[in-house]
This record gives sequence, structure tokens and C-alpha cells, in this order.
Amino acid sequence: MSGLADLKLGFIPLTDCAPLVVAKSMGFFAEEGLDVSLSREASWATIRDKVAVGALDGAHMLAPMALAAAAGASGGLTLDVGPSLIAPMALNRNGSAITVSKALAEAMRAADPQAMAEQPVSARALARIIAERTGQGAAPLTFAVVFPYSMHNYELRYWLAQAGIDPDRDVRLVVTPPPRMVEQMRAGEIDGFCVGAPWNAVAEREGLGEIVIAASTFWPGGPDKVFGVTEAWAHHYPDELRAALRALIRASAWADDAGNRDDLIALLARPEHVGVAPEALARALTDEIVFHRDGAGVPRREHALWFLSQMVRWGQVSAGADLEAAADAVYRPDMFRTAALSAGPMLDPAQVFADAPGDLAPLFAGPDFDSERAGPYAAAFSIGRARA
Amino acid sequence: MRVLVIDPDPARAALVAEGLEGVHPLEVRRSARFDEREAVEFAPDVVVIAAESPDRDTLESLREASQSNPRPVVMFVDRSEPGLAEQAVRAGVAAYVVDGLAPARVRPILDVAMSRFALTQQLRGDLAKVKADLEARKTVERAKGLLMKERGLDEDGAYRLLRKLAMDRGKPIGAVAADLLAFAGVLKGDAS
Repeated sequence: MSGLADLKLGFIPLTDCAPLVVAKSMGFFAEEGLDVSLSREASWATIRDKVAVGALDGAHMLAPMALAAAAGASGGLTLDVGPSLIAPMALNRNGSAITVSKALAEAMRAADPQAMAEQPVSARALARIIAERTGQGAAPLTFAVVFPYSMHNYELRYWLAQAGIDPDRDVRLVVTPPPRMVEQMRAGEIDGFCVGAPWNAVAEREGLGEIVIAASTFWPGGPDKVFGVTEAWAHHYPDELRAALRALIRASAWADDAGNRDDLIALLARPEHVGVAPEALARALTDEIVFHRDGAGVPRREHALWFLSQMVRWGQVSAGADLEAAADAVYRPDMFRTAALSAGPMLDPAQVFADAPGDLAPLFAGPDFDSERAGPYAAAFSIGRARA
Repeated sequence: MRVLVIDPDPARAALVAEGLEGVHPLEVRRSARFDEREAVEFAPDVVVIAAESPDRDTLESLREASQSNPRPVVMFVDRSEPGLAEQAVRAGVAAYVVDGLAPARVRPILDVAMSRFALTQQLRGDLAKVKADLEARKTVERAKGLLMKERGLDEDGAYRLLRKLAMDRGKPIGAVAADLLAFAGVLKGDAS
């Protein structure tokens, strides 16, 4: 008897749920004295609500979803005043990508072969197609993202806007859960999407779409998911939280190890986890997603501030909001470090304990991001909806 | 009453219709999946969806996009989640209904969800109006101060002059006060 409470943790079928699945399947939670059950959920809104009301103790979460409420965004349909969410650990870096349908990819190459040959690929060719379609009075192209508060929404909007495409006026943006992206593309309902692995690779393997830019190119080492709990839960269960974080840190290191890749793929491919072909999972696990190295698990303040700057840019949060206060309330590197320091010698201290996990890589285009001046940065884009 | 039930299984829509028997006019429409265009066209008074539905994120994004056309949403939890019911109520998630749905409960649940939603909308509207009124009152106070100083009027006289200007122009007194302050600014060289 460890005396620790049993935990129920939620996840969405995506490659970056790996730290939770590995910690459970490899017995890392059990070795910490935790009896954890994993619950596969159907939507991000359900994950957020269940964590908020305590039906889940913690979950795989979109980092901006955890930040939205703290920054004063209308973060929930049902929870007008929900408990505060915190992110004591980042689950991964990179992993998402923008995919367009085969037909659209071919049209883009025909419209501007030079732009399509450049690396990284810009949306210039797409801008030409959109201008032509507008001239002909054709319906706007439809793009899907996974949630209004997500890396995927900001990544797609940024990439489009950088080529002069206004994501709110020149295309139709819709929200679709990750596992449905591929079938909606097959049905011709969407022309492109930005989603996490493995769904981009699944669309490519089925011959339906082409990946045009991966997050690791858009912003090398850029943020994505976090492990989220409520502040109240973290306060009441500090021992469980520390134990869970230790297990997740070990699981992340295990998932990063190339020697475990085949086992990781087999584990994620199981129907109760992600449930897709191993080949589709292999793609983002090869030189894309980072779970642990370079301090990937540290929830970095700069990442939170970038997400918040994009919320301001697109009018989800007012320009007057205190972004730094929101970042510090939600992102808790202190909790990560406390857990990492208590984890013993099994981890390479240089990787986990680094106070400053290196400089941020630049985004693929656009103004330089200075996390000390997130507000002015948000206002520096020519396309945006910033509101006072 | 127009009810949109989003559920691949027709059973729940039938149950909702049964529970609402006697309501006139009544239209219960079922969609296997949430479709934005269909929902806008149907303009339901209330949307019923399972908490476990993958369509929830899509539904939620609509509120983001179209603040002008929000709808109350009632969510059902089929699987009993220990503790969810009381926790949900405590957290203010009154639109969550735990342990499935019985015909006899449909009407009261939908009524509560709709009235609570209307109340929230009204409170939001009231708050916006209070803020606007407060701004207008401040503007009127400043315009009165200007008239008292420039025209040597007392407070009551300044207010009557403002009210007369407003009536002559058919504009709200706050707008006339704002115009007056703007022109005074121009005359003093605040703006060009």
C-alpha cells in the first residue's frame, strides 16, 4: 500500500499522448505507487470539463486551452467560471503539420511552382489560388483545425497570414476533432487541415492529402501539448502530482530513445490508444516529435507567452490582458523541477534540470518573437484582429 | 420549440420528442453529426448532445465565431461518472445531465437550460449597457462642466441647454455631449 490516491487521466488519440500511455504500459506509474487508469476521450472540450469538475484528475491537453481561461478568454461553453487549470509539464515539442488535399496540392504546384519548390513552403501559391477563386466567385476553401485554442489554429493562421491570406475572410475555418480530419478530407468537406500526428501521415498514406509544412519546420522545437490538472487538485494531491510527473518524465525519456521506437509504435498503434497503422505513426516519431531531450518537458514561460500573443492577435483575448500574469499562473516549471529533482539518478540532470533550456528557434517568417514584449509582438502583424 | 439533437443513434431524439409531447409548436430534428450550416439554418432554441460526442469541439468553436447567434446546449452523460453530478452542479455546469435521460425529465431540463441561458445572456447584455451608460454619464458631466465654465451657466442651466440641443438634433444627450467636447477640443487645438 503506497497510500497514494488512484488516478484517472484522460487523453485524445494522438501520437503525443505517448508519455501517458508509456508511463502506464511500462509500469512507471505503478513503480511510483500510483494506480492509474487511462480514459480515451472524444473531444478537447470533454477533457477540459472533466478535469475541471474532477471526473479526471489530469489529462493530455492543448497548452492554449489551459491558458485561455487565465487570460480571460471565453474558454468554455458550459463552464463560465471554471477552476483554474495549470500545466506543470510539457508533453512534447513539434508534432503538428499542415496538410492539403491532393487536388489542392496539385493546383498549388501549377499556380506557383517556384513558391512550392522553396523550403520551407510558404502559402504564396495558395494565395494565388484563393485570389483566382475569389475573382470567379467560387466558394471559399475550407480548412480545419482541432480547437480554437490550439497550436494548430495559431500555426495555420500564422502560415496563411504570412502569405497575405486573411484566415477569417479569405478561407472558411472550421473545427474538427483529430480522428475525423482524414474522413472529412476524403468526403471533400475540407481542403486542408492542421492537426497533430499521426493524422497528417494517415492522410498521406491513404493518398488523400500532402503535408506542406510540419511544425518542426514552422517553428523548430515549438510547443504543443501539456499535462494539465486543476490548481486545486495540485494543491490537495502534491505527492500524487510529483509521483505522476516523475513517471511521465521517465516515460518521455523512454519514448525519445530510438532503441524503443518500435515498441513505442506498437504500443500507440493499439486500438485502445491511437489505433492507426504503425507506418503512419513512424513518420512523426522519426526526427519530429521531441518528448524529453533539450528540456522538452519544462513548461517554458516563453512558449506560454507566444500562445497568449496569438490569442491577442486573433482577438480571443483583449490586448489589455495581463499576459505575463496568465503565463505564470498556468505554466508551472517550478512543479516540474521539484518532481525532476526528486526523481533520483535515473535521469540525466543536464537535460532535465537546466534552468534555461536554451534560446528559442525563430519562427519560419514574421517579426522576431521577444517574450519580454509579447503584447507589442502581437500587434506587429499586418493581418490580425487585436482588440482593445 | 425547436430542438436539435446531435446523436448518431435515433433513440435519444425519439426520447426527447416523447418527453416534449404536448409542446406546440414543436420541431425535434436529429443529426448524426453537428453541421454548422444546418444548425444556422434550423436555428434551434436548444441543442442536445452527449457529453462524449466528438462534435463538442465543433459546437464549441461556433460560440467563438458567432457571438451573435449563441444557443443553449444540454449535455447528457450516459456512463455514470462518480462524482460528476454534484461536482458539475457546484462548478455551475447546470447544463450537464448525468445518468442518461428519461422522457419525464426532458421538459424540465430543457426549460431550466433555456431560462438559465437567457438569464446569462441578459446579464451579459445588462453589464454592457451599464458600462455604456456610465461612459455616457461621464461625458455628459464633462460637457456640463464645459458649458458652466464657458457660458457662465449653473449646473441645472447647463443640463437644460444640453437637453435642448439633444432634442433639436434628435440625438441622445450622451452623443450631443460627446460632440460638444470634441468640438471644444478642436477649438482649443487638441486635434486638427
